[in-house]
Amino acid sequence: VRIVIALLAFVNTLPAQSVPYERIVNAAKEPHNWLTYWGDYDATRYRALDQINTSNVDFLRAEWMFQTGERGAFETVPLVIDGVMYFTVQEGKAYAVDAKSGRQIWEYKYPLAKDIKLCCGTINRGLAALGSRLFMVTPDACVVALDIRNGRQLWKAEMADYKGGYGATLAPLAVKDKIIVGVSGGEFGIRGFVDAYDAATGKRAWRFYTVPAKGEPGGDTWLADSWQRGGGATWMTGTYDPALNTLYWGVGNPGPDLFGKSRLGDNLYTSSLVALDADTGKLKWHYQFSPHDTHDWDACETPMLLDLNWQGKPRKLVVQANRNGFYYILDRVTGEFLTAKAFARQNWATGFDEKGRPIAKGDVDPTPEGNHICPGLAGAANWMAPSYSPQTGLFYFPVREQCDVYFSSPPEFVEGKPFWGSMFRGVTEEKEWGELRAMNPLDVKTAWSFRYYRAPWAGTVATSGGLVFAGDEDGYLMAFDARSGKLLWRFNTGNRLVTAPITYLVEGRQYVTIPSGGALITFALPEHSPTRP
Amino acid sequence: MLRILLAGLVAAAALLAVDPSDVEHGRAIYRSNCAFCHGMTGLGGRGPNLVSGERKTDAEIKDIVRNGVPGSTMPAFDTMGDEQLNRLIAFLRHLQGTTDTTETVSGDPVKGKTVYERNGCPACHLVANQGAVYGPDLSRIGSSRSVAYLKESILEPSADIPADFEGVTVVTGDARRLTGIRINEDTFTVQVRLPSQAVRSFAKERVKEVIYPKESLMPAYKNMPADELENLLAYLKTLKTLPGQGAVRQAEGIR
Repeated sequence: VRIVIALLAFVNTLPAQSVPYERIVNAAKEPHNWLTYWGDYDATRYRALDQINTSNVDFLRAEWMFQTGERGAFETVPLVIDGVMYFTVQEGKAYAVDAKSGRQIWEYKYPLAKDIKLCCGTINRGLAALGSRLFMVTPDACVVALDIRNGRQLWKAEMADYKGGYGATLAPLAVKDKIIVGVSGGEFGIRGFVDAYDAATGKRAWRFYTVPAKGEPGGDTWLADSWQRGGGATWMTGTYDPALNTLYWGVGNPGPDLFGKSRLGDNLYTSSLVALDADTGKLKWHYQFSPHDTHDWDACETPMLLDLNWQGKPRKLVVQANRNGFYYILDRVTGEFLTAKAFARQNWATGFDEKGRPIAKGDVDPTPEGNHICPGLAGAANWMAPSYSPQTGLFYFPVREQCDVYFSSPPEFVEGKPFWGSMFRGVTEEKEWGELRAMNPLDVKTAWSFRYYRAPWAGTVATSGGLVFAGDEDGYLMAFDARSGKLLWRFNTGNRLVTAPITYLVEGRQYVTIPSGGALITFALPEHSPTRP
Repeated sequence: MLRILLAGLVAAAALLAVDPSDVEHGRAIYRSNCAFCHGMTGLGGRGPNLVSGERKTDAEIKDIVRNGVPGSTMPAFDTMGDEQLNRLIAFLRHLQGTTDTTETVSGDPVKGKTVYERNGCPACHLVANQGAVYGPDLSRIGSSRSVAYLKESILEPSADIPADFEGVTVVTGDARRLTGIRINEDTFTVQVRLPSQAVRSFAKERVKEVIYPKESLMPAYKNMPADELENLLAYLKTLKTLPGQGAVRQAEGIR
């Protein structure tokens, strides 16, 4: 009996993992952890960790791997909380592993019916932590809460009926006592929204429809009843400004993707950034990057929050390298358009009017015969995370150079089936390519760039070690000198990289992690530093 | 008997009664999925002529589109549903009914085989596993390319170079120039098949230069006498056996 009591006492004294809201607000002050999808609410993806730095990164080597046994796109970004790593895997799985060794602590498997057809496959981008709970979305458009200690499911909430083409892939965002999520299915004739759920109960707290109904503000930007299947998916995690209590969420393409005649009008709030009150979900402002989009240019790319001097005065900014090939700077208090500049080849806009509305270059819509437009459908940027280093003052982001021939024909709506409006194909006469680019985020001038053989699908992370880690489409994880762009280290992970690396520190040792193929790979310097010859 | 006849008539009527909107839907499906290789009017290109080449049954077409052709560049469009396939076939039948070009080759295939051998084609190409692994495998070329495309490939091979057979020249540190077929490439390395069939891999940072010639590595047989060319084409059109089983490509997905 005494032994049992002693054991219980021991268990009770183990530090219970808990992430109150205040920890996420101050995430930058604990750079050894990775508490939320973007690392912090701003999505700068900068970590003040310098054990691995420009002088020793060439010694970096694989420390451990975790094999998931799954195939397909492994797009998760792990969380690291006080020595434990939490991540999601396709097929509705989540894991907790020891962040030093990769040894499993628990596994969670969402029971996914075998016969269901899903809009978007079963990819998943990660977890949110709040208090002693983790939160994830499921392929069939539900949100689940898990006990951080053992992975047991605590509640489940259905966002929408997956049979209607709804799905979910994003990492939730925890804000105060709420879990903010969005939906996928922009190719399936859905009506998109951003939802907030009470973290304790799973009860829905608010919903913001990204496509207004007839009669609501913005409802007149949709022809007839086209808003009912207007798309506007919200498939990437937004950012959050605690001081302004404002969420910044990217909204996806209108539907049908490539056929605009049945939905004449600007199609608000698709292909836009929306600023929402975090308590109520009320719209504060919006900016539409691609009015009446017909090229599948979702605006789900990272809305990074930066506090910088704009024209000599400190200003709260939100910046985004958009799928449509332009980089934007907006005032994040008012939504005012400050500037935009093309960062990749584009042939659809000649410029912007004074309010920031793009001026289309002739007829850029898809046609029955095919219309050659840059960027291609996959975009000059996409979900791959950029990063910003206050050390260098540079914005690091992957650039995709690729064009498409866009075809269009009137689509018919069948519930749960793709609602495209025809197709596109790559311009294969010309090879795609890509870049990692370091850019001044204010004057939009390139400081340096590194050319990739193919257009990339992987993001970046910057560190106070003077490094930027990035990945390419051929599976190389790379480390660059953040100032000069010199390539300092690389490792071929053996599969295309489709997410961004993270870095963290446990017991004095810094690690770098990237998911690749079926493996989660973690790198570190050798424990006993080798001496240089 | 009458019942069978009636059933036959009903089936024939069903065949004739193609919904014109199916043809239009099929045209859209065709243009965005198939035209790139088979041409806007189906006369062929990187893929076979679908109009005046061999006629396939509906079931055969569905099988090919859904499952692809192993070991060839025809990918599997496995997400295409039955309705889409029926519309695509309606459009193909429409094309076949409205085009009167028939592929004719006047040459002698037996003589063509000697033309093939005399010109050294087996030094680069395979036919039924005989020859070299360097240029495209021709075992099935009679089924997979139109006569017009084959003719162009012989007289002017640079007019269209298949993606898998682009040339690359690597200038090594000691200034040697090695030219071959680009097998694979990434940001840091390139893998090249040399005319000897050997595969070499190069680290880009350790070579002087990597050059991508715009011309095909296949010599142009511009001066081939017309009768020899006709015979050669006739021989190539007889090549219809599947090469050894290979991988099936997947149609590119959408994000």
